[in-house]
Amino acid sequence: MIRSGNFFISILILGLGHSSLVAGPELSFNRDIRPILSENCFACHGFDGKKREADLRLDTAEGAYADLGGYKAIVPGDPAKSEAWTRILSDDPDEIMPPPKSHKTLTDAQRDTLKRWIEEGAVYEGHWALETPVKPAVPESAAAPIDAFLAARLAQNRLIFQPEADRSTQIRRAAFTLTGLPPTQAEIDAFEKDNSPRAYEAMVDRYLQSPRFGEEMARHWLDVARYGDTHGLHLDNERQMWAYRDWVVKAFNENLPYDQFTTWQLAGDLLPGATTDQLVATGFIRCNVTTSEGGAIDEEYRHLYAIDRAATVTTAWLGLTGGCAQCHDHKYDPLSAKDFYSIYAFFYSSADPAMDGNIAKTAPILELPAPGQAEALAAAKKEESARLAALESGALPAYAEPATTDAPVVREQVIFDDLLPLGVTQRNTSRNAPVWLDRPEFGVPSGRRVLEQSNGQFFETIITPELIPVTVPEKNARFEIAVRPDPLSPPKVISLVLNGKRVYWGDAGGFEVYNAGNPSKVVSLGVMPEPGKWTTLSFDPALLEIAPGARVNTLSVQMVGGRVAWDRCVVKGELSPAKDPLASFALWWKSHGSKAPADLPGPLAKTLMDGPDKTTDAAAREALLSFYLKRIAHAAEGSLADSRRVWESARVVAAAAAEAIPTTFIYRDLPEPRETFIAERGQYNKPGEKVEPAIPVNFGKFSPPAEPRRLNRLDLAQWLVAPEHPLTARVAVNRIWQQIFGVGLVKTSHDFGSQGEPPSHPELLDWLAVSFVEKGWDVKWLVKELLMTDAFRQSYRADETGLALDPENRLLSRAPRIRLDAEQVRDNALFVSGLINLQMGGRGVRTYQPPNIWEPVGYGDSNTRYYLQDHGDALYRRSIYSFFKRTAPPPFMSNFDAPNREQSCMRRERSNTPMQALQLLNDVQHFEAARALAERILTEGGADDPSRLRWLFRTVLSRVPDEKESGFLTDALAQQRYHAGADAKAAEAVVKAGESVPKNVAPAIETAAWTLVANLVLNLDETVTRN
Amino acid sequence: MNPLHEHDLLLSRRQFFGHSGLRLGGLGLTYVMGRAGLSQAHAAPSGLVHPPMPGLPHLPAKAKAVIYLHMNGGPSQLDTWDYKPQLADWFDKDIPPSVQGGQRLTGMTSKQARFPVAPSLFKFSQHGQCGRWVSELLPHTAKHVDDIALIKTVHTNAINHDPACTFVMTGREVPGFASLGSWLSYGLGSESNDLPAFVVLTPNWSSKAAAQALFTRMWNSGFLPGRFSGVALRASGDPVLYLKDPEGVSSTQRRSQLDALSAMNAHRFAQLGDPEIQNRISQYEMAFRMQTSVPELTDLTGESKSTLESYGPEVLKPGTFAASAIMARRLVERGVRVVQILHRGWDQHGNLPGDIRLQCQDTDQPIGALLADLKQRGLLESTLVVWGGEFGRTVYSQGTLTKTNYGRDHHPRNFCMWMAGGGVKGGVDYGESDDFSYNIAENPAHLNDINATILHQCGIDHERLSFKFQGLDARLTGVEHQHPIKEIIG
Repeated sequence: MIRSGNFFISILILGLGHSSLVAGPELSFNRDIRPILSENCFACHGFDGKKREADLRLDTAEGAYADLGGYKAIVPGDPAKSEAWTRILSDDPDEIMPPPKSHKTLTDAQRDTLKRWIEEGAVYEGHWALETPVKPAVPESAAAPIDAFLAARLAQNRLIFQPEADRSTQIRRAAFTLTGLPPTQAEIDAFEKDNSPRAYEAMVDRYLQSPRFGEEMARHWLDVARYGDTHGLHLDNERQMWAYRDWVVKAFNENLPYDQFTTWQLAGDLLPGATTDQLVATGFIRCNVTTSEGGAIDEEYRHLYAIDRAATVTTAWLGLTGGCAQCHDHKYDPLSAKDFYSIYAFFYSSADPAMDGNIAKTAPILELPAPGQAEALAAAKKEESARLAALESGALPAYAEPATTDAPVVREQVIFDDLLPLGVTQRNTSRNAPVWLDRPEFGVPSGRRVLEQSNGQFFETIITPELIPVTVPEKNARFEIAVRPDPLSPPKVISLVLNGKRVYWGDAGGFEVYNAGNPSKVVSLGVMPEPGKWTTLSFDPALLEIAPGARVNTLSVQMVGGRVAWDRCVVKGELSPAKDPLASFALWWKSHGSKAPADLPGPLAKTLMDGPDKTTDAAAREALLSFYLKRIAHAAEGSLADSRRVWESARVVAAAAAEAIPTTFIYRDLPEPRETFIAERGQYNKPGEKVEPAIPVNFGKFSPPAEPRRLNRLDLAQWLVAPEHPLTARVAVNRIWQQIFGVGLVKTSHDFGSQGEPPSHPELLDWLAVSFVEKGWDVKWLVKELLMTDAFRQSYRADETGLALDPENRLLSRAPRIRLDAEQVRDNALFVSGLINLQMGGRGVRTYQPPNIWEPVGYGDSNTRYYLQDHGDALYRRSIYSFFKRTAPPPFMSNFDAPNREQSCMRRERSNTPMQALQLLNDVQHFEAARALAERILTEGGADDPSRLRWLFRTVLSRVPDEKESGFLTDALAQQRYHAGADAKAAEAVVKAGESVPKNVAPAIETAAWTLVANLVLNLDETVTRN
Repeated sequence: MNPLHEHDLLLSRRQFFGHSGLRLGGLGLTYVMGRAGLSQAHAAPSGLVHPPMPGLPHLPAKAKAVIYLHMNGGPSQLDTWDYKPQLADWFDKDIPPSVQGGQRLTGMTSKQARFPVAPSLFKFSQHGQCGRWVSELLPHTAKHVDDIALIKTVHTNAINHDPACTFVMTGREVPGFASLGSWLSYGLGSESNDLPAFVVLTPNWSSKAAAQALFTRMWNSGFLPGRFSGVALRASGDPVLYLKDPEGVSSTQRRSQLDALSAMNAHRFAQLGDPEIQNRISQYEMAFRMQTSVPELTDLTGESKSTLESYGPEVLKPGTFAASAIMARRLVERGVRVVQILHRGWDQHGNLPGDIRLQCQDTDQPIGALLADLKQRGLLESTLVVWGGEFGRTVYSQGTLTKTNYGRDHHPRNFCMWMAGGGVKGGVDYGESDDFSYNIAENPAHLNDINATILHQCGIDHERLSFKFQGLDARLTGVEHQHPIKEIIG
């Protein structure tokens, strides 16, 4: 009577007994009834109005209880009066339900369950996803629980799993899933030779321990977190928060339980004694796009940021979309506008500004000193204060104004060296702080730091001396500056512009670019100095018709299209003391403009601005003179000069120590919260009802704090990770299921609401969710459980039956076969070619990128307008570390469906386009990988063609070619040899692909032929697919 | 939705070039044909590799193609199309408070002490049968006023560039929604089997002020599948990303390599039966065809001397607006559905007279030539040409006003756009602004109405083209009730 393999029956046996006469635990509509109705009835009597028969719907109580003209489908408590029940019992083929043409039949046990449900009142329940999951009984089976659920469902459709895939397929599938990279041949060998029954599990365990695991897991989460390396709106300038990305990698590698993973990101700063990691994690909230557009209205953006943050939390943890609730209550979904704005209220009182300032370090930020850095900074600051105190307490030398008759003196004034001098204003094309390289590997001509400029196009640093004027000497005047063009990215041209007049070295054509200025005079001083070497450039300011004794009001240090280091900028020559503001206190005092220069203590600023004539207080004059002599004037000989020198080097050490410390965005609340309102129709300037941070009403239980107080983000996080929360665990296990099987059990992984798709396997989803919580939110446990299943390990074969009965493979009647994601596609090519650089973490690297990706879209002054590619090892870093500009993402990412990270993304699509084909064939990154792979073939692949072809195939695809494939490859090699041989020059060009140095392991023609064959294999469908 | 049906839809629309049009060289063919049964059901009946969605067009389509000329930064309506001669009397007088009406201003001028009216420096004269007044900045476009429907009362929701640019192209101020071109290629597919359905050009510009940014979201597919994103046709480097074979690889070599690739993929398909493998084979063939069709597209040697000259002196200079304009015609001729040219540099907060002159020099002659060229080839009837920016500019001067110089701030409350061809009535004006071009006097046209009109001309009922997103049936034109502008439709 009870057929084995039927999952609903199994539930009855385990949970309910097999007869309505046996009193069992209460029936649950969602668990016990909905699946029966869904499987057998809803196709014709469900939600879809177009397909509905007889105007009857059984998916809602109203529909089921409705009067259909003298009779009702279901009369609660009375099966005999329920038309549905009488039809189920009918023998008449025209009457019986489900009808014969549907090929569906109810088992006796299912009938009993339905009858009992009607007898007990035919109670309907609300949306499944809002009920706390209850761990369902596992269908009776020899298999492990997950497979038992899946197999039961397959059996209902007269399907079974495919046999286990061969070992090479299994290891490649597991390696990509867990590390985003293919296995090495050694790993394949070891796995294939391991006869132990635990071989597979041991292999999975090894990959779970690899640092690559965290990277692979993290890249999925970074889509959810909308992580990017730029602000995302308007100027879209660089922002510094890569430490957050690195923390995500670390969290997965250290297997931080998911409840803590959640709490740290939403409220790490509110945890008692918050650690650095807990603070860094709050960067999650701040990953949203921000603006600093001139004219943008603060209130509007404050609103938009809070909307984005609330929507991201709603999607990432609740698996619900906030889209509707921003403007009005949803007609179907349980999240009301008030709920949404109650979540919004948790984020509306943020301490970060509405305008990001276009700077990389928009507060609040956290400094992340490496071991020793914090101590070094503290020591350096202490030293700096001590040295300043020493300078201040030094005895003042006698001072007398120079006479106008005094002879000119030979002087050298440093404009900058290691630091910009006191009291200058500085700005540059990027609107960011200047970049000082501290003790670079390539050496420093003077001091310890150099000023670095790098940009794909025009870049300038404009220095306006205010406190310490720069004067052109009267005789033998020279400007000098040391420069080192980068050997890998030498600029087209470098220049100095003094008072709007330019001297330059290199190609004047370089200035024919946006915003390079329109100098009133232009003088060429020759070619670009030799890249890779320090050169001191020197010129007479008279060339620019700047008169002797004139003041230099602005100095702009410029370059176009490259990277360059500058050091020690000085002006020297002879100048009469009376004409030298650094020798004449009176002259200096009078020579200031209408605004007090920076770096001048307040009372002194007043004295300075009052001028000598208005200053009657002798003490004030003395104080200013003291400041002048100690910090401004040419240093006299003796102890004061020594004190100043020592103080200045202490300043440099302190500045270097401060700038060496990376920072990251963190989240903080304002001390006093802002009043928060529902935005009517989603508009910031239409405030409606006032709201406080609150927990949405329809979702699980929430115990408010005993002492009434304003709720904070920690309350929000703790509600989310409470074991009885209906959504958090389901959404999390579903997302990881999607990551591993390609499609979630709930296909709409971002939408568990009534508009989303119901789960393909509701009991399995609940079993996983409850088990996940029971296991302490152990992510590695979950991942491993999924990888250990027969479903994951089976082979892929799409036969006609399988395609017809399970077209989308939602039932997993065959292995999931999915195209690799963008990062995996690139990393795979780098890995098999041996080019890959597995260094972890740090600022985003700028890999190969075709010209004109940033340039045609970037704002004129944006510091991410002109792409300047990195060189060397940086080109071969894993894709997760590539720099992500949000208004123009790297094409290797977008081309393969990576989101643009402008908002949270739970699921990437997988397209298949000619643009992808072109990229895999022609992108220098991929073609260079083919060349490097060819070199590996020729050195590691054995002595003859057959073994080399086999080695190539196995390196890329983890398996050996069959006879036909060997034939194809042999022919292809012969053809490519023929082509390469016919044009030796072309072969040379092929071998030079990319920036890595060819190893010349074989004649160019041979390497070229193998490169084309490797390029062919790297383009196989199987190569870019997790099989 | 029925999963099988959805699966069919997915397969048949998997990608902008679909399944058919397989032109395998060499070995691959037999393998694929041997298993063709699986995919035949999904091949489009039209022979198009990128057919329209089932049920589309909803209405008889007047326009087969759209060329959208986006003047990024917000061109001044007062100096181009919205003629206000009486403003001469208002020079340097403050705009009456009753006109300004306390409406919100950007943070750039909201703190200005005065709001002095800056009448346009440019002369206007009447043109065409319709006698429309056009600024001297646009002598070439002016020749076509009888083909142009002018909408003088366009308004938008956003007052700053980033949200306004996002709005004009996607109907929303925040990122994430689908662009107009993506909607059109999603709904209507492409007539071309060798080129993408939606092509974007971003020419260079001449104004001196810092140019506002563009955002790839202006042509991205947003929530629509990624294959509906606009494909940038680039002025330097490969015209389409990664189009060119690596150095040292000949086309014969590539062909022979692709034959082997197809054969091996087909062999794999025979073993596994995954239809996605077949799809990939056809994508590689498509890629190979593009390597021929794109260079053919960008090669102007077949154009007559007179045609080239009509577009002005810069037509042969890659990356200019003129070069983009003639490319737009060539794309439309080859069946591309949507061409979008985004010309930057129209954000004239200061030094407007100088900069707008340069911008018009970039664009006016090529636009005039494009209209003439389309008309002469009989393409204008079936090609809707749209001109506009993300907002307009204020009548009052931002910064110092002199007899010869002024600037204008952002003005989202009324600005001008025009349409020509594609079934639009020529010579018609729609809407009137007030005497200060500061408010709408009659017949407002929201940008959503403009987009509804564009869709309508392409045969789409804007209320019926939707996509499930964030629990909404998302539409280009939003949730408010919007209408195509009947008055300008022929």
